[in-house]
Amino acid sequence: MKTRSFSQSLLFAVTLCCSTTVALAGSAASLKAGKAELKSAGPLAFGPDGILFVGDTVGAAIFALDTNDRTPGRGTNRSFEIKGINQKIAALLGTEADQILIHDVVVNPLSRNVYLSLSRGRGPEAVPVIMKAEASGKLTELSLENIRYSKVDLPDAPDPSAKDRRGQSRRLESITDLKYVNGNVIVAGLSNEEFSSTLRSIPFPFQAANKGASIEIFHGSHGRFETNAPVRTFVPFDINNKPYILAAYTCTPLVTIPVSELKPGNKVKGTTIAELGNRNRPLDMVVYRKGGKDYILMANSSRGVMKLPAANLDKYQPITTQTEKEGVPYETIASLKGVQQLDKLDEANALLLMDDGGSLDLRSVPLP
Amino acid sequence: MEGGSFIVEGWRPGPDAPASGWQSIFSVYAGDNDVPPMLGTYTVENSRLVFRPRFEPSPSIRLRAVFRPPSGSPVEAVFEPKHAKAAPSTRVEHVYPSTDLLPANQLKFYIHFSAPMSRGEAWQRIKLLDGQGVPVELPFLEIEQELWDRDYRRLTVLFDPGRIKRGLYSLEEAGPALEENRRYTLVIDSGWRDARGVPLTGEYRKAFSVGPALRSAVEPARWKIHAPPPESTDALRVQFDRPMDAALSTRLLTVQRNGVPVLGTPSLAEMETEWRFVPSQPWTEGEYTIVVDTFLEDLAGNRVGRPFDVDVFEQVTKRVEKSSVSLPFRIRR
Repeated sequence: MKTRSFSQSLLFAVTLCCSTTVALAGSAASLKAGKAELKSAGPLAFGPDGILFVGDTVGAAIFALDTNDRTPGRGTNRSFEIKGINQKIAALLGTEADQILIHDVVVNPLSRNVYLSLSRGRGPEAVPVIMKAEASGKLTELSLENIRYSKVDLPDAPDPSAKDRRGQSRRLESITDLKYVNGNVIVAGLSNEEFSSTLRSIPFPFQAANKGASIEIFHGSHGRFETNAPVRTFVPFDINNKPYILAAYTCTPLVTIPVSELKPGNKVKGTTIAELGNRNRPLDMVVYRKGGKDYILMANSSRGVMKLPAANLDKYQPITTQTEKEGVPYETIASLKGVQQLDKLDEANALLLMDDGGSLDLRSVPLP
Repeated sequence: MEGGSFIVEGWRPGPDAPASGWQSIFSVYAGDNDVPPMLGTYTVENSRLVFRPRFEPSPSIRLRAVFRPPSGSPVEAVFEPKHAKAAPSTRVEHVYPSTDLLPANQLKFYIHFSAPMSRGEAWQRIKLLDGQGVPVELPFLEIEQELWDRDYRRLTVLFDPGRIKRGLYSLEEAGPALEENRRYTLVIDSGWRDARGVPLTGEYRKAFSVGPALRSAVEPARWKIHAPPPESTDALRVQFDRPMDAALSTRLLTVQRNGVPVLGTPSLAEMETEWRFVPSQPWTEGEYTIVVDTFLEDLAGNRVGRPFDVDVFEQVTKRVEKSSVSLPFRIRR
């Protein structure tokens, strides 16, 4: 009896393992080897299985790149520090430090290696580059020449090279943030002409027929409903086991939006949960768990890094009336200044890109 | 150095790279401090070791090539920066809107440059000064990506919609950026570098006054259409009832005849209160239509059939949203 139950449980375990492998292979299998022709490299997000999503504003597309970086990283208490990473990258790429613009920094949750999207050059001839940084300090380029990838064009985006009878369109939609949530890539965009801030939910693996469609976000504040203010940054978050996104604007810094409502053509109402004042410029956010409780860590331009408890986000009253400083109470982490980018390195540490008087340092700090 | 490649002369490399790679023997550094060597590829050509950098190095950097032969001391060669920066020649050509009376809920500026610019410093280079010359705190939405067009010759600057007065705002917040009956100056700093890395020829200022907020939808029915005569290529002229967004009114108004687009060149006049259209072929007598895309905005972001602020959410979902509005007109003697 013991023997049989042992082998039954072993069979069960093996079956589970195989089905998981099949599921992972499903995502990566949609990628084909070739040259990934990015015209720009902006916001980054990791999907399953070491797949890196890249927002290409100039090419009006989202790329899925196979980083082939799946070896699990070791331990949760390694520290990470690369000082002057902008100067080092500039030297690697043969240019001055101020000709390197770092657009985003994300951590591969599998390997704990850090990926950066950047421009070499600051004008229309700028070349997009994606670099990998390891805890050892090693910096390598993620070559796009022969890489497994797939790509989806952003819907409703005018063909960048199309000349209509009126001449070339100057309209561009800047991708301000993107994240992989439950099988979809959610993309926040902001047009340089008509005032529109969009969220798009695009299924991955990318399908030719379904490019997602834009969703208009309205949010409530001050007792009236306002039209869409640009989503600056957002992060997926579960409330009561339901997936939401937590999105930061400028005037009403935090809203929650149920992922189930992010369907094409929907007009979605976000719920304001934090009123932190419009002097605040949210740059980046992560959600983490410490001591059995959930927290949000947010980097802001003027307020530094803020820590907010996320435990009862659904219970906070939506802000609808004028108040002083209501909603979610927050704590400012005074020791962290000049933070430009923020991501989770592992369960205990955050990875920050910090400006230390012109030298950009990539370093880990314990999650506060 | 030959044609962008770095070549070691007078030393014959073996057929294979050493165990620690060619870079351990021969590296080129861009920059003086303790920096990693440039990325690139190594080949052996005509019995010489050749290094080709991944990117053509910037001409303004000093390059140091260091050759460390397996036996013997290192040999270093320095390549000085090539040329000095060019003289300033790029300037601000125009800032839209052209008018010097803006509504209190003005939504954006378009800054046009005479040549491609570089990005990454817009927010240090643009200031809004109040009537006393004091900078207004954070009036604009400072997007890290910066909203340039593809050529980097036009920058879209958005006023922070959260600062636009809609009623009450909390004590935590700064007040509205623009207040009615006050004067302001938009200042563009000459230090802003163009795509060559060279500053502008000079500072640019746009002084303006602020009038009441504009909160009504754009209504094409209120426009005046001046039809040109047949057999001419005179401009069709449409007079708006208010200044319109410069980029959108250039792109979102088209002319059709029997459902077929009429080819021609649009332009704006009278400080964006008038749209003109010169046809490629002479007009012929008959019925035409001006098609207005409902994304067209005025200076405060009000669209066709929809004001910028929506007071009641339910109204938005019930309203039937058309994508365009048609204005018929006739060409006749």
